[in-house]
Amino acid sequence: MSSRYALVAALVAVFAFFSVATTTFLTPGNLESILVNNFALLAIVSLGMTLAIAAGGIDLSVGTAIDIASLIFVSAVAAHVAMPLAVLGGLAGGLLVGAFNAGLIAGLRITPFLATLGTLFIGQSVQQLSTSGGQPIYLITGHVPPVFAFIGHGTVLGIPFAMIVVGGCAAIFATILGRSLFGRRVEALGAQPGVAWYSGLRVSRDTAWVYLLGSLVCAIAGILLSCTVRAYVPLSGNAYLLNAIGATFLGTTFSRVGRPNVAGTLLGVLLLNIVANGLLLIGWNFYWQQVGSGVLIFLVLVVSFGGGRARSTRAA
Amino acid sequence: MTRPDQASPLALEMRDLVKDFAGVRALDHANLRVGRGTVHGLIGQNGAGKSTLIKLLAGIHAPDAGTIAVEGAVQSRLTPHRAEELGIHFIHQDRLLVPTFTVAESLFLGAEPRRFGLPWLNGGAMRRRAATILRETFGVDLPAGALVGELSAAQQQLVQISRALLNRPTILVFDEPTAALVRREVDSLFGVIGRLRAQGITIVYISHYLHEIGEICDAVTVMRNGADVGTVHPRTTPAADLVSMMVARDIHDMFPRRHRTAGPPVLSVTGLRAAGAFENVSLTVRRGEIVGMTGLVGSGAKDVLRCLFGLQRPDAGRIEIEGARIGGRSPSAAVAGGLALVPEDRRGHGVALSLSVRENTTIASLDRFARGPLIDRAAERSEVDRLIRDLAIKTPGREAAVRNLSGGNQQKVVLAKWLSRQSNLYLLDEPTVGVDVGAKVEIYRLIDELAGKGAGILVLSADLLELLGLCDRILVMYRGRIVHDGPAAATDSDTLLMHATGAGAVVHA
Repeated sequence: MSSRYALVAALVAVFAFFSVATTTFLTPGNLESILVNNFALLAIVSLGMTLAIAAGGIDLSVGTAIDIASLIFVSAVAAHVAMPLAVLGGLAGGLLVGAFNAGLIAGLRITPFLATLGTLFIGQSVQQLSTSGGQPIYLITGHVPPVFAFIGHGTVLGIPFAMIVVGGCAAIFATILGRSLFGRRVEALGAQPGVAWYSGLRVSRDTAWVYLLGSLVCAIAGILLSCTVRAYVPLSGNAYLLNAIGATFLGTTFSRVGRPNVAGTLLGVLLLNIVANGLLLIGWNFYWQQVGSGVLIFLVLVVSFGGGRARSTRAA
Repeated sequence: MTRPDQASPLALEMRDLVKDFAGVRALDHANLRVGRGTVHGLIGQNGAGKSTLIKLLAGIHAPDAGTIAVEGAVQSRLTPHRAEELGIHFIHQDRLLVPTFTVAESLFLGAEPRRFGLPWLNGGAMRRRAATILRETFGVDLPAGALVGELSAAQQQLVQISRALLNRPTILVFDEPTAALVRREVDSLFGVIGRLRAQGITIVYISHYLHEIGEICDAVTVMRNGADVGTVHPRTTPAADLVSMMVARDIHDMFPRRHRTAGPPVLSVTGLRAAGAFENVSLTVRRGEIVGMTGLVGSGAKDVLRCLFGLQRPDAGRIEIEGARIGGRSPSAAVAGGLALVPEDRRGHGVALSLSVRENTTIASLDRFARGPLIDRAAERSEVDRLIRDLAIKTPGREAAVRNLSGGNQQKVVLAKWLSRQSNLYLLDEPTVGVDVGAKVEIYRLIDELAGKGAGILVLSADLLELLGLCDRILVMYRGRIVHDGPAAATDSDTLLMHATGAGAVVHA
């Protein structure tokens, strides 16, 4: 069996296991909850991470972009700013984080890991300073425009709005990475930056776009999150960071050549969500869920890496 | 062809061996017959299949077809362990010793003499026995307590050979043993090999140096393209004949050299200066012209090339491509101006090893395949297929990772990248470094064809014979200045070397 499908096999296995092990897992309500409450946001954030890792970098500041977008969006709504303007404000706030990263990485040539780590720290301080040490901003039900509830919980033709956003973003990112000129340049950058530079590619410009696009999807996730919980909760975005990285690397096993790819990332996100949800249902607490996720990541990577090593030995 | 080893019984017979790696045939019905107690040479270019053959013998890889017989017994499942049991041992060019071990510890690694049969090292006995072995076998007094890291390359090799001898070998394989040795050490190694042969040990000797083969081998097998092309007596076969067996073509045919007429200038450089590297460099490359440039390390030749491609910023001067000035600010500006660079560091700057032949080939010319923001994949595929065909790139397919290609074929992918870009001026930095003779000839042919189609070419090379064979005109740099600029036909390597080392300046002064 090709090691490519270790991820799919794991997905089928955990799905089957929890369907049998619990009476609540395989119910429409629970499945919808996995998709809308867990899958959607992590999937959107992971798209940006996939692009950054494909370019040979990483984005540790996804939480910052989520939070800043949420902070601006919720503050604007609380101040009765018109909804479209509030959304634009939120997106602009997220993009600001991306622009900051782009300046550090493409402009000052700081390695992505350190640059985005710095952004993460600065973002945390900014949030705490601007919310009197981390006070959430709640929106009172009566004051929330109806479109707010629609973004958070609405459906179109029975499909949750959040899933439509995921589908749109995923389609765009899959096209970017798999089919576009920009995506190909990103692959080259990730594979061998020296070759990209010596081939005359405008490396700085492409790198800047990678972090801008990443922060844009994080901002979208931040706005969705705000609508779902009807609040801005400081530092809530960081919860997505490690899962997004994990999902992206799980997803590389789905590629024939072991590269980050959108379809694989989405499968990785789904796997992490199902495991977390299922373990909760069979009564494991939050801390043990993380052990479960960790073990699963090991398993998938070991199975594919083992297969990969066998391949490379034959090719040696 | 004579079969010199047929007189004595065979210690080793490898028959009809076939081995594929990732779709590339490394061995194509290769044979090797080694007579017992003889020294048997094995030669061939890089990629001819020598190392693969040896790896099959060592049991590292299993053959896809063919048989290996040791002392007449066919070995169907050869593993490294089984090879050792059969008494086959290998002396590698990179000596596999731990530098912080003593000579004695290295000799007995894994077979240490024990005290009272218990797992306590008997250090004294180990050192005494090591000293005895070294003295009796080699007539040398190596201090058994010395650290391996303190020994010379030749001494380390002696330790490695002694280690093999402790296991009473029947066949010893030397894989380019003289690569790290000086001449005096080579002589003493040959003395050792002579003594081993006298003891009845069979020796397989792999080398790049033909004169060594003539000195010590009783027979030599020449390999080419994964197969043996003949086994001959090295002492009665001229070296030139061995070379033609290795490359299958006359050495004088290496350079194509069709008649070309140079057109208008494609590159003109005037008064270029980079502080501390070079001064007042002016040069012209015309359409259809191959210009060579050489100079010792620090002569500034390399810096000129870097400035032309925008990798380094000049302090003064003009660079014009087809009459239009380019800034020399970045490689992307240079590429947009029609320049192409085949860099010396192929794996760092030329090809991305993990990407496919297709992705590498089109990375500098993606705009050509643009359909809006997307890639027209059909157009891309057909262009890549065309280039693979035109350049005769040996690859399992366009989707194969460039990692799986030989050095020469990787270099062809770099050329294909710029051909796809349809560049006007090619800067080639040591274009044949690390590629074997056969691929060199093909790369020379491609460069010549490019010039024939009207491209300008500037080749930087330290190989003067390469420049003399390939170029129309040769520039020599010395201490940041161009000290010689003349037609290749009117000069020779001695003159070029004189200019490059500064001796020419005295003559002119």
